[in-house]
Amino acid sequence: MALPKGRIDVRMKTSLLALFLVAATHSVCWSAVGCDLNDPDRDVVRLFPASTGYKTSYVSIAKKGGEGLLLKVEKRLGDKFRGIYETIDVPYTIYEIYTGNKKIGYIHGVNQKGQFGGIQVFLALDLHGRIQSFYIQKMTSRHAGKLRDAKFGNQFAGLTLKDFDLYDVVTGNATGKVAAIRNPVPEADIDFRAALRATKKNLVLMDEFVFSENQPVSKEGEMLK
Amino acid sequence: MRSMSKILLSPLFLLLLSDAGIASDYLFYFEGQGIVGYSSAQKKPIYYSMDPHAEMQKPSIGFDYIGRFSGETGDVASLAVQGRFALTVDDDNYKFEPQLYNAYLKVKAGWPYVWIGHNRPAFGLSAYLDSHGLLLRTLAMQGFGYDRDWGAGITRDFSWGDFAASFTTASGMPIYFKGNYMAASRVAYGVLNRDNMNLGFSLAYGRNLETMGYELIDDDPREMMLAGTDLTLLRDNFEHRIDLLAGEWLGEETYAFFYRFGIDLLQEGRLKAEAQPVYWKFGGTENYQISLCFSSQVSLSLTVRLSYTYDHAPDDSRVLLQLYYYRPI
Repeated sequence: MALPKGRIDVRMKTSLLALFLVAATHSVCWSAVGCDLNDPDRDVVRLFPASTGYKTSYVSIAKKGGEGLLLKVEKRLGDKFRGIYETIDVPYTIYEIYTGNKKIGYIHGVNQKGQFGGIQVFLALDLHGRIQSFYIQKMTSRHAGKLRDAKFGNQFAGLTLKDFDLYDVVTGNATGKVAAIRNPVPEADIDFRAALRATKKNLVLMDEFVFSENQPVSKEGEMLK
Repeated sequence: MRSMSKILLSPLFLLLLSDAGIASDYLFYFEGQGIVGYSSAQKKPIYYSMDPHAEMQKPSIGFDYIGRFSGETGDVASLAVQGRFALTVDDDNYKFEPQLYNAYLKVKAGWPYVWIGHNRPAFGLSAYLDSHGLLLRTLAMQGFGYDRDWGAGITRDFSWGDFAASFTTASGMPIYFKGNYMAASRVAYGVLNRDNMNLGFSLAYGRNLETMGYELIDDDPREMMLAGTDLTLLRDNFEHRIDLLAGEWLGEETYAFFYRFGIDLLQEGRLKAEAQPVYWKFGGTENYQISLCFSSQVSLSLTVRLSYTYDHAPDDSRVLLQLYYYRPI
């Protein structure tokens, strides 16, 4: 596939320049950082001991609803999406958990800006969106051990999006059950608040991606209660 | 070349055949990069990161595809295909070259996962560190091993770490059958994302072919018997990666040492500085390289990397600028 010399010099140099320009002119486009379980086989069984299998699927705000959905998610979160981990085309990995061929729950993780790089917060949810388990996968902070400890994670068990609706991700103010969640490492307050924001974001996204979709809908298009 | 092009195009057909629903069972990324640099030894601009014949960075466009296959009760397999059309500029010659990195099917087979195709051999840091878009070279990229190789392997994660073994053709990017083979295994303590550390021990044995990119340097397979250890350590915004190997490589007594220190200077990894000394002794020759690299994620699809490498043996100082673009489709 070698090309003849000489004649193509200008064309080739133009091509090289074009590759630079293509990249440079796309600099305003936003890209994607997904969030997968390290070892789904191990993690799924740990989070859902009764499970026998799981299915992996990918969904993004861009494909699911575009700008309109992004605005809706931001409104429900109470904060703007910003940074590498919160772009419209981030592919979210959703694990549907099965016992035999019966679905028993979901696992979903999100990336969140922490004090040192990104942290990854996974939630194991039942079919109604209630938190079964809270799990910080990636966190490079020296205090990661305490925030990964089961004692900290257990404080999230049983909570739902309704509980997190009472948490302000911008100010950190909370009422209700979320206010009762204690930070085990005061020095890691940035990561603690990042974990709470990630949890609310995770719940809002799962509600939009999965639970709202699964709601029975009346003929008039309104959700049935 | 024609068959390679067909392989590279196959994911596009898979994409067209896939369900275009809202939730999908695949990820598909576009990748593009431009690279330009200057070599003091050559006294001229260069358009590649390592060598015109090596598979490392060149101006290219490509893709990254991963698809999942599920039954009624869960996932059963995944397919990964990652390829590029690269432009090789060597003096006044220009050549378009299809390159295939990942091209493997990974199947759940009870106790382990089993993969078959073109994937990472189970040896050293390159068994899990993806360098296919980076400027800094690992030992495998430097030529002590293969970043990808054709064959089959098994992987298994445990609560305490992981184990991998592979049996490959020992030819790297191309496939040759000239009595060449490589058996490798690696056992590691620590789950990197969970424990912020991973300590691996590797062994490999075989008869290897010397290749560079798709070029066969020597068609006579040589003895290979290596032991290695590698370590990745993450703490706060610091990263340490160490890779050591010793034994016989391509029939020559070989020792190699690699260390990469990285520091995230901005949140979300927006700006990273890395320093990397590498030393090796291969037969009667010794060499060392010292590299520095700054990576800036100027937008969320675009990373700009600027690197400097001093290569002692050729007395070459090399400066490289890379624009690397990667986004989902």
